[in-house]
Amino acid sequence: MERLERLAERLRSIDPVMPSPGAKIRGWNLVLAAVEQSATVRSRSHPVRRLVLAAVSAGVLLVAGAVAASADSLPDSALYSLKGVVENVRGALAFSPSDKVAFHLDLARTRLTEAEAMIARHRLDLADRALNGLDDQLNDAALVVQSEKQSDPALGASLENRLVQAIATHDQQLAGLQGQVTNPEAIAAIAQARDRAAQAIQTANKPASSNGGGKPSASPAGKGSGTSATPHPTPNH
Amino acid sequence: MQPLGKAASDDDRPLIERVRRGDQDAARILYERYFDRIYNYVYARLGRAEDAEDLAIDTMTRSLTRLDLFQDQGVAFSSWVYRIAHNATIDHYRRQGRATLVPLESATMPVSADPSELAVEQLSNEDLREALRTLTDEQQQVLILRFFQDLTAAQAARIMGKSVGAVQALQHRALGSLERALHGRTNN
Repeated sequence: MERLERLAERLRSIDPVMPSPGAKIRGWNLVLAAVEQSATVRSRSHPVRRLVLAAVSAGVLLVAGAVAASADSLPDSALYSLKGVVENVRGALAFSPSDKVAFHLDLARTRLTEAEAMIARHRLDLADRALNGLDDQLNDAALVVQSEKQSDPALGASLENRLVQAIATHDQQLAGLQGQVTNPEAIAAIAQARDRAAQAIQTANKPASSNGGGKPSASPAGKGSGTSATPHPTPNH
Repeated sequence: MQPLGKAASDDDRPLIERVRRGDQDAARILYERYFDRIYNYVYARLGRAEDAEDLAIDTMTRSLTRLDLFQDQGVAFSSWVYRIAHNATIDHYRRQGRATLVPLESATMPVSADPSELAVEQLSNEDLREALRTLTDEQQQVLILRFFQDLTAAQAARIMGKSVGAVQALQHRALGSLERALHGRTNN
């Protein structure tokens, strides 16, 4: 025991290693820039502000106001189901492959934002659904890419590039989120979402025939819309 | 490096609220309070100044820009910052493809009742640091927090998500493992 106490004392006596002044200044400049950017984003998307805006809109024009407000609603909001309806309409109006991929990638980004918000509010059930929704959208986009690569390889390659970039961005965001949460269930859900997002790239690379002659398969999560022709990204409840 | 006071979490709270409102002065105070400590923590794990700088900056950026995730987690800000640093370190190891695990028998073997005397006073700081990096992830963490960062067992327990008793037991095993590692180095 005495030996270990001596060893402990020896460890305590080691002088701390300090960062160079240059590193500290560089670090502060980077942190400051990130804090400024974060404050700007927060002020734009403060939940209280959104609710006030939604209420005013509803007072002016109830239906139009509710539809507009639902665009930013989160899964724990009463307006969220309306958001699904609006997204369905948007999906029905996306005709070209480019529009379809852009639509699915936009919804994937929306689902990721929702998942982050739900994790922040400790609503892991809703966060998990949003993460599933994210993967479903990426998978749907991958199916469009897969189909387009057969009919128009040049366009297919361009769309695939957009998909890969989007997945890389989402993965980076998910990795950051994973490092910040402490709940093991949330960490596991994020890790699963990252794995499934990566699978979307494989889906895009498969020949269309491997999905039944061009017919898209269900998403890896089993909850996907399963068809790029009729996207229905209705948020799960 | 100033010791992290027991009341640090109380002192942090008003600053955190100010940072949430976009107050850069408050962010600067928290940065100054934690950056050196986090750098020191990461450096002890990695042993490379450049990597430690990058990870310390990354940790402080995440800590001060994602305060929405810190809200209501029931842990002190200091604990949260250390956890982010710890996770960033683990991610770094993964990216580098470096395993941090050591054989179980080496990590958990009881301290010998009569080992040859180890002249700890004659060991260089670098010898100690390198031997420490051969321990398991948790053993490194507990020794760094307790002896390099000068935290109490209770503070280390909060950061590691363990009971105080578990931290004390882990610390004892970690010191034993470190002693064996140092013996191995001096015998080679």
